[in-house]
Amino acid sequence: MYILGIGCYYHDSSAALLNDGKIVAAAAEERFTRMKHDTSFPINAINYCLKSQEITIDDVDYIGFYEKPFIKFERVLFQHIEMFPRSFKTFLSSTPSWLNEKLRTIGTIRKKLKYKGDVMFIEHHMAHAASSFLASPFNKAAILTIDGVGEWTTTAYGICKDNNINLIKEIKFPHSIGLLYSTITAYLGFSVNNSEYKVMGLSAYGIMDTKKNPYYKRLKKVIDIKDDGSYRLNMKYFIYHYANRMPSKKLCDLLGGPIRKKDGEITKRHKDIAAALQMITEEVVVKILSYLHKVTKLDNIVIAGGVGLNSVNNGKILKNTPFKHIWIQPDAGDGGTSMGVALYIYYTILGNKRDYVLKSAYLGPEFISKEIREFLDFHKIKYSEFKNDDELVKRVAHLIYKNNIIGWFQGKMEWGPRALGSRSIIANPCNPEMKDILNLKVKHREYFRPFAPVVCRDDVEDYFDCDTPLPDSTDFMLMVYPIKKKWHDKIPSVTHVDGSGRLQTIRREQNSLFYDLIREFEKFSGIPILINTSFNIRGEPIVCNPYDAYRCMMGTGIDYLVIDRFLIAREDNPHHMWNSKQDIKD
Amino acid sequence: MGVVSKMSIIRLFFKGFKQGIHEFGTSIGSIINSVLLTLTYFVGVGLTSVVAKAVHKHFLETEISKRKKTYWSDLNLTKKPIEEYYRRF
Repeated sequence: MYILGIGCYYHDSSAALLNDGKIVAAAAEERFTRMKHDTSFPINAINYCLKSQEITIDDVDYIGFYEKPFIKFERVLFQHIEMFPRSFKTFLSSTPSWLNEKLRTIGTIRKKLKYKGDVMFIEHHMAHAASSFLASPFNKAAILTIDGVGEWTTTAYGICKDNNINLIKEIKFPHSIGLLYSTITAYLGFSVNNSEYKVMGLSAYGIMDTKKNPYYKRLKKVIDIKDDGSYRLNMKYFIYHYANRMPSKKLCDLLGGPIRKKDGEITKRHKDIAAALQMITEEVVVKILSYLHKVTKLDNIVIAGGVGLNSVNNGKILKNTPFKHIWIQPDAGDGGTSMGVALYIYYTILGNKRDYVLKSAYLGPEFISKEIREFLDFHKIKYSEFKNDDELVKRVAHLIYKNNIIGWFQGKMEWGPRALGSRSIIANPCNPEMKDILNLKVKHREYFRPFAPVVCRDDVEDYFDCDTPLPDSTDFMLMVYPIKKKWHDKIPSVTHVDGSGRLQTIRREQNSLFYDLIREFEKFSGIPILINTSFNIRGEPIVCNPYDAYRCMMGTGIDYLVIDRFLIAREDNPHHMWNSKQDIKD
Repeated sequence: MGVVSKMSIIRLFFKGFKQGIHEFGTSIGSIINSVLLTLTYFVGVGLTSVVAKAVHKHFLETEISKRKKTYWSDLNLTKKPIEEYYRRF
């Protein structure tokens, strides 16, 4: 039985295909259209899912959509009524897309896919919950879904058992910790629904002490947090419920200055505001989870929703709450809801026995050697070819050790926003200058952004002060942990300013080539860790196909591209045709 | 001027004319849309809002209360009969 899950029209459109209870293909639309956070109907992602299983749309038994569009429209309409006449501009700008597109979901699915079967609609937060719990290793768990907003819900908690998920309580729009995070992201001059992770990275440069950070007290005025973690925002500080912008003038006054201009200087004030926001977010999540544990008395917690991508917060949950085990799926944000809706239909609505755990995020497109060779030959690209994986791993590990930057393109593309060793840029973490080289010459991004370490799972406890037992979500780069002090100087390029690292663990059974590469690098350096960052330039989605990868390499300071068994040196090929530097966006 | 170049000028003219008409139509469509949406906003949304405010009805709960012990509200979202999932509401 095939079930296709679809999520679209807000941000991060995606599609996921389930075959007899197992996710067999999943991808975000942005990877195909090359528009970051693409909101459009995910026709390319759907086509990929179908093609990967060599089926047509007629073979699909059910299609699931990730929200109830009419309930969401009701909320939007109520916003306009409540905020009349201040909502006039947003009414004019947003209503046409509702009438032309968002309320015609069934028609669009039938027309674009020529699909005649059943279409089901699942509530947004239920799709989030299902994406996490039904892919988790737990039979029983407490659940927290926390994001910007679904239909009405912004935060919900509940209990999951076997095939069933019961979301018991909620916090409703306009009160949203996700939207608070986005508002401060906008205030700090970064793009909303895109750069929240930059604010998270910036927060480590500010004062992470509630008593010493001057903005913590100020920011607490915008939110009332109860002992059980429930909260409400003081809406005088926000305008997102009636305008296309987020912070109000009152918020700017509270934080002591206007919204930072996009390319403006990042001062200590900005860093402290980011830190204050991060502390408040952590406070809310810890309070909710402590209360949730009291209510459910369960040891397992699963988290979903955009706030579940806050890896700094995630790494502190087991330490600061009574929960003993945590699970977060690789795409905890809206992109993951397509997977959630497919799982929910198969396991909860249709009641099939649960026997699936998501163990790997490699669910996207892959390219065979023949296709890659044809691409390289067609474009007259100079390359060499390795005879086998052993030779490849040895040569590439040596290149990394000699401080070359490698574009690593192997196998199936990752599901979710993180590059996990299929579409990665990898480099030497022992070189103290590598962070600046990568930030300025390769990624063309802000100086303060940290790089993630990828480490063999067997070695993690030697290098990190992490939870024991180690949560499986570290495989998806979703937890930040302190790096042990003695290693700070040895792996400076993956040690953030506060001594932490956004850890990715890798097991050989998940990705043997990547695992072996790290082991081979260890033979040269003595360290089984590499820098792993997403294979893209700022503002672009992660590369999907060989063309994207080659184009990205030629427009950046990447020295070599390793694609399948082919090695391409940047210096051997002409640059002028492939200058992607000009395409840098925020 | 040859017959061929005359034809290409005519073709170019009609191509430009067609494009102009299309853009004109799009602009007119946007104007009509804006007028209709403005009317809907002030008559439909506006009147409802005025009446709601008169009877103290709120569509968004924005009040912060220090006296309240919790802001959690009941959701009780769980498995429903299958026909519920075919609805968009």
